[in-house]
Amino acid sequence: MALSGRFRSALVIGGQSIRARKLRTLLSMISLFLGVLAVVAVQAGSEIANRALLADIELQQGKDGSLRAGLPPGPDTVAITTDLLADHPGIVGATETSAVIGEPGTTPINPGAQPFKHASRDQGGYAVRCDANGMCTQVMDDSPAPPGEAIEVRLVGVTGDIRQFRPFPLKSGEWLSFDGEPSLSPRLVLNQEAADGFAAHPVPAQMRVPGASADTTPRITGVIDDGGYAPTAYIRADELFTWLNPADAGSDPRTGQGTMMQLYLWPSDQPALQTLTARLSGAGVDVTHIYTSPVDSRDRIGSQLDVMRWIFLGMAALVLLIGVAGILNVGLATVGERVEEFALRRAVGTPRVLLAGIVLAETLIIGLLTAAAAVGAGAAALEVASTLFGPSEPLLADVSFPWQAGVAGVVAGVAAGILGGLLPAIRAAGIPIATVMRA
Amino acid sequence: MTALIELSGLSKTLTGQGEPRPILSGVDLTVNAGDSVAILGRSGSGKSTLLSVIGLFDRADSGQYLLGGADITRVPERRAARLRSAEFGFVFQRFFLLKHLTAAQNVAMALVNGQGWESRRTRRAKVMAALDRVGIAHLAKQRPPRMSGGEQQRVAIARALVREPKVLLADEPTGALDTETGALVIDALHSATDRGCGLILVTHDHAHANRMHRVVRLTEGVLRAEPRGVAV
Repeated sequence: MALSGRFRSALVIGGQSIRARKLRTLLSMISLFLGVLAVVAVQAGSEIANRALLADIELQQGKDGSLRAGLPPGPDTVAITTDLLADHPGIVGATETSAVIGEPGTTPINPGAQPFKHASRDQGGYAVRCDANGMCTQVMDDSPAPPGEAIEVRLVGVTGDIRQFRPFPLKSGEWLSFDGEPSLSPRLVLNQEAADGFAAHPVPAQMRVPGASADTTPRITGVIDDGGYAPTAYIRADELFTWLNPADAGSDPRTGQGTMMQLYLWPSDQPALQTLTARLSGAGVDVTHIYTSPVDSRDRIGSQLDVMRWIFLGMAALVLLIGVAGILNVGLATVGERVEEFALRRAVGTPRVLLAGIVLAETLIIGLLTAAAAVGAGAAALEVASTLFGPSEPLLADVSFPWQAGVAGVVAGVAAGILGGLLPAIRAAGIPIATVMRA
Repeated sequence: MTALIELSGLSKTLTGQGEPRPILSGVDLTVNAGDSVAILGRSGSGKSTLLSVIGLFDRADSGQYLLGGADITRVPERRAARLRSAEFGFVFQRFFLLKHLTAAQNVAMALVNGQGWESRRTRRAKVMAALDRVGIAHLAKQRPPRMSGGEQQRVAIARALVREPKVLLADEPTGALDTETGALVIDALHSATDRGCGLILVTHDHAHANRMHRVVRLTEGVLRAEPRGVAV
């Protein structure tokens, strides 16, 4: 009750004083505003960068906290795995091969699924294989086919909705449907690079997959952003295996090299992985090459960003200190002017601690008002920047104001209010009561 | 009957940059409920210091101070603040009204002092009653710069009365007012004694002093009874 009474009294009196000294309050707020805005900007910037980096990593590696398992190549690996995953919808398997869409029997525009920007058909007697990041390697090719209107893509067969682990944003159309029977006309979802390639190079709708029993007529159902640089198409694994023996999936017939099958799972599904390991072992697969790795991208990028964040926060703190000095300066001057008021308040029974509380309440209110203004300005500025520059700058597209920046702004405002008000508060509490008698 | 205020042998020496100066030397004073006492004395005689000690702004060096029978001679500051809020009302020569507050808000200052909390409605009722008691309820929303000296001093008296104090301490409350207005202010102060409030008035004005129940003079640190009607 006593605390509540003092707290309320401090707020009431502090509010009255702020209203009585509007210009002075405004001057205190201006210098503090810049400091708090600097803290908000640094925190918002680092959070947005963090989010963007994390989202980019999630697209390619998987969601934080999930697991990735690699299965070694083998004649029965894909068949056993897809059979087991039919009963475990929480685990998604992905196997990769290549496909050429367009004129049959020709060398595609981008041999080896090269990114179109760097695509070249003249490899000097070598064939090219590229991974999802656009890293390409050359392998011997003794009998290159004549150039034609065709595009080569990485073809990723997925056993389920991989977006629960790699949240590809849909750019157009729709994602693969895993309901119903597999279609004889394989449905494909392209990544942005592949979609751009098909938009720039019209090709016939004929798809050949190395090792497949026949060429097929694919149907493109949607476009997603998978964060990859190489043109890639995603296909239901069962639609791929309608035309391709699972034993041939995951291996490159031109290089003879096997490709590991990737599994995406949550830690709670690890028992199923143990069952799979046992079945693969029984089928003669060398299970010592099975690896499991957790996705801990948040930790990895966190430590990288923290250094930059602390450097910028240090600079913001310096700006904030200038604001604190402003509050301190105005606060000391104000206490000097209010000596009689404070002495009078003591005369009518106000305890010293409440006098200090009144001054602190005033600076805290100023700090909070300034923080609210700075956070509001920061959020508004981000909204404007997102509207103006979002279309050309992906980092700012559809970006929302991070709550962490709001909290940082409020904490900075409160801290500045306390730091700037402490000395004036101590001085106010020490004013001798006899001042009113000697006046 | 227990005396409201009982001072016995109270002494106080002022210590500053110069030589220590004894200002009160064995002051004895008793004030009962409803009693009014005027303290006369020349400038620098220690009247205000005595009032400071009685009002717990300051402490005596020696002697005893009983308030309602309780010894508060060495009362700590925290309890002194509580007592100043609950037991005393103060009126000063300068009115000490805050210019940015209305008359009602200035009076409410004595209620919003961290000694308990009352609802806005209760505060408002008490403030209006106090302003009404000194006859300026109609000025509740006026700010001090728009009020006359007499009106401002009555606002100060309402501030002193709003907590229903047991003792009213007035330090030359008419010093800045003309004779007629001063008389009105003394009327307002004296009316408080009708409800059992003790009044101690420090003044140079014999006319005002003679309206009190008792008149004493502080000379060389000692209080002596002053014959009625004596002009100095």
